[in-house]
Amino acid sequence: MGKTLFEKIWESHVVVEKQNGPSLIYIDRHLVHEVTSPQAFDGLRMNKRKVRRPDLTIATMDHNVPTNDRSLPILDQTSAVQIQTLEKNCKDFGIKLFDINSPNQGIVHVIGPQLGITLPGTTIVCGDSHTSTHGAFGALALGIGTSEVEHVLTSQTLWLEKPKSFEIKVEGKRKNPHAVTAKDIVLSIIKNIGTGGGTGTVIEYRGQGITDLSMEQRMTIEAGSRAGLIEPDEKAFDYLRGRQYTPKNYESLVDNWKEHLKTDSDAKFEKQFTLNINNIAPQVSWGTNPGMTCDVTESIPSPDEFSKGDPNQKKGAEKALEYMDLEPGTPITDIKIDRVFIGSCTNARLEDLIEASKVIKEQKISTNVKAMVVPGSQMVKKQAEELGIDKIFINANFEWREAGCSMCLGMNPDILSPGERCASTSNRNFEGRQGTGGRTHLVSPVMAAAAAIKGHFVDVRELDLS
Amino acid sequence: MKGNIIKYAQDNIDTDVIIPGQYLKVHDYAELATHAMEGLDPDFHSKVKEGDFILSGRNFGCGSSREHAPIALSHSGIKAVLALSFARIFYRNAVDGAFLLPIEIDQDAYDGISEGDEIDIILSTNEIKNITKNQTYKMKPFSEIIGKIIAAGGLFKYKPDQD
Repeated sequence: MGKTLFEKIWESHVVVEKQNGPSLIYIDRHLVHEVTSPQAFDGLRMNKRKVRRPDLTIATMDHNVPTNDRSLPILDQTSAVQIQTLEKNCKDFGIKLFDINSPNQGIVHVIGPQLGITLPGTTIVCGDSHTSTHGAFGALALGIGTSEVEHVLTSQTLWLEKPKSFEIKVEGKRKNPHAVTAKDIVLSIIKNIGTGGGTGTVIEYRGQGITDLSMEQRMTIEAGSRAGLIEPDEKAFDYLRGRQYTPKNYESLVDNWKEHLKTDSDAKFEKQFTLNINNIAPQVSWGTNPGMTCDVTESIPSPDEFSKGDPNQKKGAEKALEYMDLEPGTPITDIKIDRVFIGSCTNARLEDLIEASKVIKEQKISTNVKAMVVPGSQMVKKQAEELGIDKIFINANFEWREAGCSMCLGMNPDILSPGERCASTSNRNFEGRQGTGGRTHLVSPVMAAAAAIKGHFVDVRELDLS
Repeated sequence: MKGNIIKYAQDNIDTDVIIPGQYLKVHDYAELATHAMEGLDPDFHSKVKEGDFILSGRNFGCGSSREHAPIALSHSGIKAVLALSFARIFYRNAVDGAFLLPIEIDQDAYDGISEGDEIDIILSTNEIKNITKNQTYKMKPFSEIIGKIIAAGGLFKYKPDQD
């Protein structure tokens, strides 16, 4: 029987295999940031251990860096300490760091591919659950916890239980690819399989709906599984060609990848789901996990409609509606918003910003809305500024910020106030995620920009997005 | 291992509600504990007792990889979380740092155990005894290496070459 892409990458990285239990897996790239690493470095010091492969370890600061003027001191003392701690740890252990003043600084999952550090067929880990992003290039990329960060730092390996393989086939073609985006595809998938639908699996996304996507769109795919994979193709190879850290022998690597990095035609997946995207609509999340999502043309479902008889789901929906202050039956397009956040590792790449800017057309954001754009990296910011995209947003009264995770997780000063409702291009709408009492609706960058202009959600298929 | 149950009868309890993002800068574990479950149950800190267990539904600990989540629960006194299923990173964080035991249970245990019940987790037989209700349920055994990491007292105390 043939093998899946996941099985091939897994097998080529097994150091020790155990029956009925985890295998020891070799890690090719370890990405480090300031929040989940301090205790790991403390552990190394306590046990007098070194970093096994500093040359395969790359650090940046993204989670709690301020996104306003970088020439000012960091006011939040605990954030400042965490940032200084990463600087010291990288210096002490010989790790390359893109610090707050580096032109390469940015969200770790944006800079990895942008610098050519992310490569097809590799294993990549990071103390961050959004690490799956790198799977867009056919890398097996896993989020890990701090003890595991320490384990990788000291051994370049990880004990991992072999996940199940899950094929998600995305068939068909979007009618209006400017209005219906990769974000809408992934939210549709999560809506169907549930927020826990990917748990314990590695998803391989396949089909024309996926191969049609550009690389930056593919990096939107994140759905609560251990990892997500897309078979690397010419688009992936082109994206990584000639980047700052792309290996010198790149073309011979590409030849090898073309031959090996594919799922065999007779390979079997343990789980399967198919989505046809011919007629999908822009998506808006209404609840407190990404599975609580509906079409922009729909109304808020009742807990009974949503739960389809599952008591835990019903209770979850009731709690979510209370937290979100929403009534069943309310049309999505009637929901007024207070804030707009265009950013995060999901949707803060150059293409996201270009697409969102097309909505604006010399309009201003609604007077009731505060909106910000936080580019995913300093490089994205620079490229956007060279294209004049920053001016489009600034003239519409968006704030144009420095790169970081920002309001995706509310660790830096960019947070919602209690009760504020936000159209956000991030990937999590959990209670309090963007600030205590804040209410998050997950949408695509185009949907977020349109909501900023109108002050409420609109079906962007009705707009001219040329 | 005996303790009383704090039950959250819902699925998908995420690490953002277990310990909200603004506290990820806090390195004092005792202080971190005062904010445990703050996003879901502001009364948690006042009601939790040393040795308590949490019982919940599917996909417990989903979302952010923050190890602060099991740390905050552990330093609140929680010794085990019993759930229908766990998100991988939370599960491994709990085990690797020896913070608490993640115990996978079945629907019978989930339905049978109520808030406040006193239960006894018997790892040697993979059983959960409900002392309050005089019932017994099965728990899913730990996989071999997970069991060894737990027995060793965490990932860094586990020595695979001694197998």
